[in-house]
Amino acid sequence: MGDATLWFGRRLPVPGPATQPGKPALVAHHQQWRCQRCQQVVPPGDELPEHVPYCRQCLNLGRLTAHTKLYTITEPNRFSRVVDGGLTWQGHLSDHQQRAAQELLQRVRHQESQLLWAVTGAGKTEIVYPALAWALAQGWRVAWASPRVDVCLELAPRLARDFAAIPQAVLYGGQPVPYAYRQLTICTTHQLLRFEHAFDLVIVDEVDAFPLAMNPLLLGAIDRAQKPQGCRLLLTATPDRQLQRLVAHHQLAVTYLPLRYHGYLLPPLTVQLAWRWREQLTRGKLPAALMRRVRRYHHQQQCFLLFVPHVADLAPVVQVLRRLGLTDGTTVHAQDPDRQAKVQRMRDGDLTYLVTTTILERGVTFPNVMVLILGGDDPVFSTAALVQIAGRVGRHRDHPRGDVVSYCQSQTLTVRRAQRMIVQLNRRGRQLGGRP
Amino acid sequence: MRPGCVWCGRRFQPQISLADLLRWAPLPQPQVCVACAQRLKPITGPRCPACGRAQATATICYDCERWGDDFVNHAVFPYNSDLKAYMQQYKFQGDYRLREVMQPILRRALAREVYDVLVPIPVAAETWRTRGFNQVTAWLTDQPYQQALVVREATKSRPQSSKTRQERLRAQQPFQLAPNAAMVLQNQRVLLLDDVYTTGRTIRHAAQQIYLGGAETVTSLTLAR
Ligand SMILES: [Zn+2]
Ligand SMILES: [Zn+2]
Ligand SMILES: [Zn+2]
Repeated sequence: MGDATLWFGRRLPVPGPATQPGKPALVAHHQQWRCQRCQQVVPPGDELPEHVPYCRQCLNLGRLTAHTKLYTITEPNRFSRVVDGGLTWQGHLSDHQQRAAQELLQRVRHQESQLLWAVTGAGKTEIVYPALAWALAQGWRVAWASPRVDVCLELAPRLARDFAAIPQAVLYGGQPVPYAYRQLTICTTHQLLRFEHAFDLVIVDEVDAFPLAMNPLLLGAIDRAQKPQGCRLLLTATPDRQLQRLVAHHQLAVTYLPLRYHGYLLPPLTVQLAWRWREQLTRGKLPAALMRRVRRYHHQQQCFLLFVPHVADLAPVVQVLRRLGLTDGTTVHAQDPDRQAKVQRMRDGDLTYLVTTTILERGVTFPNVMVLILGGDDPVFSTAALVQIAGRVGRHRDHPRGDVVSYCQSQTLTVRRAQRMIVQLNRRGRQLGGRP
Repeated sequence: MRPGCVWCGRRFQPQISLADLLRWAPLPQPQVCVACAQRLKPITGPRCPACGRAQATATICYDCERWGDDFVNHAVFPYNSDLKAYMQQYKFQGDYRLREVMQPILRRALAREVYDVLVPIPVAAETWRTRGFNQVTAWLTDQPYQQALVVREATKSRPQSSKTRQERLRAQQPFQLAPNAAMVLQNQRVLLLDDVYTTGRTIRHAAQQIYLGGAETVTSLTLAR
């Protein structure tokens, strides 16, 4: 079957006739078919002609039918040992980062699963480096997975540079480079569905992000991709209530880092009431306070992000801004093919603002940016999303402060929870000597 | 529990009018949600009278002029990014259930055509083995059709979609008449049915063979152009 390394720790369909070795991809159980790759039940009616059931849940990884077989070779950890785990990073950690990094390392040594709860801008990637370097030096196979492809794309070049001696693979839907057997795999959580008991350590970055949170398919994928005796490290700035409960009940070890790497506290989330802004918008107007603010930003040449709830809000909002004379900005959303390019133009200073949906809530960093949220009380903005959005501000040590203003019809519970989370994190941060 | 939209999977409330309820008839079963339905915008404005593509004027397009024949194709949708996404999932990923999205649409489109015999473009035996279905006949519900064409063996070297326009135009005749095809084609007005009209090469190859089978006229309908 060709190159055997392709099957190490993976669960792949076998090409060719049904006489090949392997286990059936769809298994009947209590009169229901269940997919052995994504573990989901195949609903009645999801079938090809001749009543051959097939799985639609993981279809985009290649169709599995009741005639497909899956084949695995047990992960052999066939890697050459690299001194220092291949770490070539020259930077150094602050005292707080160092303490957090040592905690992570100790638990990884004991193969204990854990959570790193570090505020946006804490430098969580580098904090993981000592633990990752140790794991790689042991010959462990490691996955660094994220539900968000943007996070993977931003991470991959950093890990390639900082662990230059470690062969790495980057996997996501539509990746340009084909799969290769490598000690370090950077991938979307969706890609983990193709693995079986492969990884000694699974790092899950932005664990609370859509679409992973509460998604049994993807949570199951992490379970199966990890070796039974392996461990995992979850990274987040905004753990959901379920994770917080596990921590509170001592079912998950946690390391806190409530302070940003530069030592300044998180900018607070301010709320301003904006009565019936959507009706105003249909008449070509934005809330007066918002208009005053963006005019001021425009005069000061200050960059800003303006978050709106829905794709349909983008065009009317940007039209109003352009009529105000703010012509050097544009819109972005999840399906925008030019998303990466527009973000880059903003970083390069070609654009001074972006009107965006929640797609830019995380994984993207601008050195000096203000954040405005129109309709922050809309249900699309979860507590985590609001805290993440606020976390876009003050990332650079030269610009550690800034505005985060949400224009709402009403003070909702979600908005108040977000404000409270920031206040609580800042209280902890102040105890570590954080500056406002 | 009510199954979700067959395309995007989201659960949705079918829009039922009071009139529907009062009529006491079986309710129509929408297969796609409103958002997905809006992704499908049929060609309504001016189009090329020969190939059916949407364009600014109703004059014959450059590609058709180069063909220099009087072949006529009708198309339901422009082959835009939404149709490409649909075809990608349905045909290339083999999501057979997605046939349901187009079944009612093709039913209406076929009802507007004038023909005696419907002939869908066939798929090669190898495609049957891997995909497990013919993407064109799967759109038909109870419309009668004749499988008058078959794919010649060993002509399907590489999928059409991976070829350049030049390569496609040079391609060899991929079809032959099925046994006894002449009996059903003789003096009939034949409508060919295919998924996408790209260069027009495939459909013309098919039409040539149908004419050889004795058809009186041959036109075609494609889902997209
Ligand atoms: Zn599956
Ligand atoms: Zn839908
Ligand atoms: Zn034309």
